[in-house]
Amino acid sequence: MKRFCLIIIGTAVSGMACAQPNSTGTLSTPRGPTLISSEHGDFDLAGREAIYRGHVRVDDPQMKLACEQLIADVPLTGGHVNHIVAETNVVIDFMDDKGQTNHATGEKAVYVYSEQGGVTNETMTLMGNPQLDNAQGTLTGDVIVWDRQNNHLTASNQKMIFHQNFNGAAAGGNSPAPAATPATPATPAAAAKATNAPPETMESTNPTAGPSPQP
Amino acid sequence: MGLSTAAGLAVWFAAAGVHAQQSGHATNFTTTEYYPDQKHVKSILSGSEAFSRPDQTLVVKQLKLQTFDPEGKPGMVLTAPECIYDEKHGTASSPGSLQVQNSVGTFRAEGQGFLWRQTNNFLTISNDVHTLIEDRAKANLRS
Repeated sequence: MKRFCLIIIGTAVSGMACAQPNSTGTLSTPRGPTLISSEHGDFDLAGREAIYRGHVRVDDPQMKLACEQLIADVPLTGGHVNHIVAETNVVIDFMDDKGQTNHATGEKAVYVYSEQGGVTNETMTLMGNPQLDNAQGTLTGDVIVWDRQNNHLTASNQKMIFHQNFNGAAAGGNSPAPAATPATPATPAAAAKATNAPPETMESTNPTAGPSPQP
Repeated sequence: MGLSTAAGLAVWFAAAGVHAQQSGHATNFTTTEYYPDQKHVKSILSGSEAFSRPDQTLVVKQLKLQTFDPEGKPGMVLTAPECIYDEKHGTASSPGSLQVQNSVGTFRAEGQGFLWRQTNNFLTISNDVHTLIEDRAKANLRS
């Protein structure tokens, strides 16, 4: 299986549709419970803040998160946590609306949820050598922001390494059924056109320069 | 610290500023702490039973601790099968299990071993902490 990698180096903050906007609105509907587990917990009942330490695990319907320390506000009446800070060896696994697995790592992640004027904002900001991997490639940058309401990713000083091959199957093998996905570009230029990045910012590299090759 | 204490059946050792020197027993034990304005309740600690100990602490069975914000709105509710309540130092602790939840039950946490500090309303759960957070809309559907 032949494959190649494309490297995009961007210098400015730019939007990149690694995941399609969620047009179904499923994120705004009630979802299942969130479970947080840890070895130790401190709860400021007056300030309504919880600090979890030691092998912290968050199991949410939309994602799984692991870290060493997590600080979350405690909802007084409603069930929605508005602010979460995860620190030290942060690992996040989530699925986009196509069912594609995404794996993100960093030293810190900040989750913010707010409702203002009927508009819901929900973001997860990953920092500290953040990196996001999925079947399409690897995204790094100074900061990676995941807009959970629109299922959209942005990154500052982004660097994207695409994983693709020539025989029509995306690397990673967890993309939707072939009929539902566009054909894999046969050339680097076609691959560039298939992304949001300008083609001139892309360049092909030696296959060995990319992330772990597929067997 | 704006503290008043009362016990349902045996108030003789559970009154405010108690300095129990002898062993005592009370049922329906309740102690209430107020904010500095002395009008709004800060916390209510209650238990089905309370036993005094030689070190002037109390063993409280079936602990229920309710906290309130300065406006009187309910905060968190802590429950535990048993705890040691140290009125002098304003702490409640136990090596056993604990559950804590907000007033509507959309935030629930549990764990093993805890220490609650009355002065700053701070709770530490020592081990095996599990928290369940339910979506507000879902919780409303259940209520």
